[in-house]
Amino acid sequence: LAVTLACRSLFQLFYSFFKSLVGKDVVVELKNDLSICGTLHSVDQYLNIKLTDISVTDPEKYPHMLSVKNCFIRGSVVRYVQLPADEVDTQLLQDAARKEAMQQKQ
Amino acid sequence: MSDSEQQESDKVSEAQWPENGGSWSDTENEAGMDSDLLQAMAEEDEEINIFNEETFGMDVDPNGTANSLDNGGISFGEPLPSTPPPNTDPKPLSPSTSPPSPPRQRPQYLPQYPARAAQWQRIRGPRWRGGLGRGQMFDDPAVMRIVEGRPSLMSVDSAIVDCGHAVYRNTSLDNRTQPPYWKNRRAPASILQDSAIVCVIGHRARGQRVNSDLLDLSYPVSSYGEKRGGPYNRMLFGQRGPSQMHSPMMPRSPIFSRQPLTPRQHFNQTGGFMFPPNRPCPSTPRPLTPKIMQLRFGADSPRPSPFYSPSTNRVQPFSYGDPVTQLHPQHKRLLSQKQHLFQRKSQGSDPYCNLMTTKEKEWIIRLQMIQLQSENPYLDDYYYQEYYRRLEAKMAEEELGMRSKKEPPKLTTPYITKTDAYAPVFHIEGSLGQVAVSTCYSPRRAISAVNAVQTHCPLEELKDTRQQRLEILSKIEKLFIVLLEVEETERMKTPVSSEAEDAMLLEKIQRKVEHIYSELQHHDSLDSGTEFLPVLSVSKGKKLLARLLPFLKNDSAIKILHIIASNLPTVMSKDTEETLPVLYLPLRNVIGGLTFSQLIKVLRDLTSSESLSTLECLSLACQNKFGLTLLYALLSHGEKLLSSGVPLEPSIGDFETWTDIIFQVAGQLSQCSLVEPLLLPSNLLTLFCRYLDKRTVHQLKSNLESATGCLALPS
Repeated sequence: LAVTLACRSLFQLFYSFFKSLVGKDVVVELKNDLSICGTLHSVDQYLNIKLTDISVTDPEKYPHMLSVKNCFIRGSVVRYVQLPADEVDTQLLQDAARKEAMQQKQ
Repeated sequence: MSDSEQQESDKVSEAQWPENGGSWSDTENEAGMDSDLLQAMAEEDEEINIFNEETFGMDVDPNGTANSLDNGGISFGEPLPSTPPPNTDPKPLSPSTSPPSPPRQRPQYLPQYPARAAQWQRIRGPRWRGGLGRGQMFDDPAVMRIVEGRPSLMSVDSAIVDCGHAVYRNTSLDNRTQPPYWKNRRAPASILQDSAIVCVIGHRARGQRVNSDLLDLSYPVSSYGEKRGGPYNRMLFGQRGPSQMHSPMMPRSPIFSRQPLTPRQHFNQTGGFMFPPNRPCPSTPRPLTPKIMQLRFGADSPRPSPFYSPSTNRVQPFSYGDPVTQLHPQHKRLLSQKQHLFQRKSQGSDPYCNLMTTKEKEWIIRLQMIQLQSENPYLDDYYYQEYYRRLEAKMAEEELGMRSKKEPPKLTTPYITKTDAYAPVFHIEGSLGQVAVSTCYSPRRAISAVNAVQTHCPLEELKDTRQQRLEILSKIEKLFIVLLEVEETERMKTPVSSEAEDAMLLEKIQRKVEHIYSELQHHDSLDSGTEFLPVLSVSKGKKLLARLLPFLKNDSAIKILHIIASNLPTVMSKDTEETLPVLYLPLRNVIGGLTFSQLIKVLRDLTSSESLSTLECLSLACQNKFGLTLLYALLSHGEKLLSSGVPLEPSIGDFETWTDIIFQVAGQLSQCSLVEPLLLPSNLLTLFCRYLDKRTVHQLKSNLESATGCLALPS
């Protein structure tokens, strides 16, 4: 239970953050170097990501992805998520991070 | 949230799920059916009928054997639990405490039940004993649906299970004449003994849009392990491998025609065995032995959980996000706007879609969401809530303004294809040896914290500087937290009505603000004129000050303004990241409250520096965005004061200083190349017109305009 709670608070910030990006276009780079561009459909507390209307940024390298329209990506395999900069309020993100840190201490 | 509730619910559900099949009676409790349940049931059956007719061209005798099905069959309710929306409802503690969702149970079949039992095996469950919790029990999708294959058998043995027989397509009514191996299927009893059989039958496709195909992604339920359904679920999904597909009832011909499943065809997925019915079953089907069944519905299977079907609660459009996610109204609005633009093409036939119904998916998602329910969504979900609150506020503000209909920003987000701009390896300038490649395991360090140090500095000095910087950074961070509290308190103040509380909050705010202020002052250099400089040299510090300024008392704020003005060159030179502009607006507000004398003082500070002449100061200011804009702001305020007609009460020498400065500034402005200011006050040229001749003004004007690219004044 303790582990769940700790993880929960850690994930809460990013979950909250990604929730605000639902509906926006992102590029997810996986640890296996595959980059998938798509619209963020949903995210969960493990930061698993569902993308719709995906396209692979390098289609020749990954031809098997051509037919895929929607995908679900397990959170643990994500290396980076590239976001539209104007959809992010960095100041707010910093504040949220500070609050999170505060909460964790308590 | 979880543990005690789970136990409680377990207990309750235990009570309602008699473990021994023998306690299930056959024909009892018919009378207990509510009429509205019947009603609901009737509706559904009608729908089913229509579907069947459309699909299969019924030549069924309507009276058929269906009637015999009605003998007390209790079918299971909506497969989906309804997790109440996180903040509004109290969590359902147990099935018995909260009422089930709108009655969707079908405790009885109606005569319209299609005789084409193959397609539509309604669950004719065991007759559960105990009237009370019955309804609730069947709300749960985690309840096995016992599908009946042979009407005649119902009367014989209530616990017959049809394991996937449902999809058997036959043009004839062969299934009627099925070999009596049904009778051999005593296994069901053992299944039923396991109360934790999950039936993932969806059967509600009403109102389902084609869009929902979006959601038809099978995905591993990553959190499910926590819900004690881990192994089960893996089995579940693993079953789709053809080798594991069984048609236990059909040793002979379980070939399912390959058809795209419409959502309604979920009905075919009865039997709770997660059959993807539209797949041809390539392997020889083996009859499901009790053992296999045990495997599937072992002890680890999810127990019926006290979550209720939302059934009719699907009011929110959820084409984005999970259907369960509560979206902020502003977010919803934005998404629906975006939605309108895109036409969702109808998906081509996909044999793998609709393996799970929406309800099933929703159920699973809700299970996950339980973990995320919080009592304090504003705090737990801070970023999201705050982001959309601000967005909403901004939109509301803009709508109140001149524009009647603001163009919603960026309806179509451009495709991000900037992979060429993305350099995965980041080379840090000036680093020796191996470049520290930033990976997901070691993200880049905060570069800004590392001072762009002059290389010729001796090492100790370097360390000292760095040390100081770190100290300052750490202090700023601590103060930031206090600032956040201040802002939070301020936000709380507005809805609060009582005056006493208001005063108390105000006092709290003031206390904290003063604390921050004094800390930032850096006590050892008080009154030296360099108090806030260390803070100002860090971008974080500037941001902190910018947000603190509105809360400060006038004197303190003016002091800060003075400090900045007198040390402007230093401050500007240290502003490597160009964070100074954040200070502009709060400072302008402060300037707006200055008296003439105060203003002159500030201007004097600005133009007189120890090391630099006035001209140099001014020219430096002109080269810097912030400096120039600050200068403009000061001048503009002066002009405003002068032209307002308010008695100025100047001190001696004020006016001389004023005119002096005007001339000097004018000289600078007309000669240097100017940067583009953040804001160009409109009354500047008016000011210059007072004091200068037309030609100079004209020259000034053109210089100003060339810098900004816009008109300098309504002349």
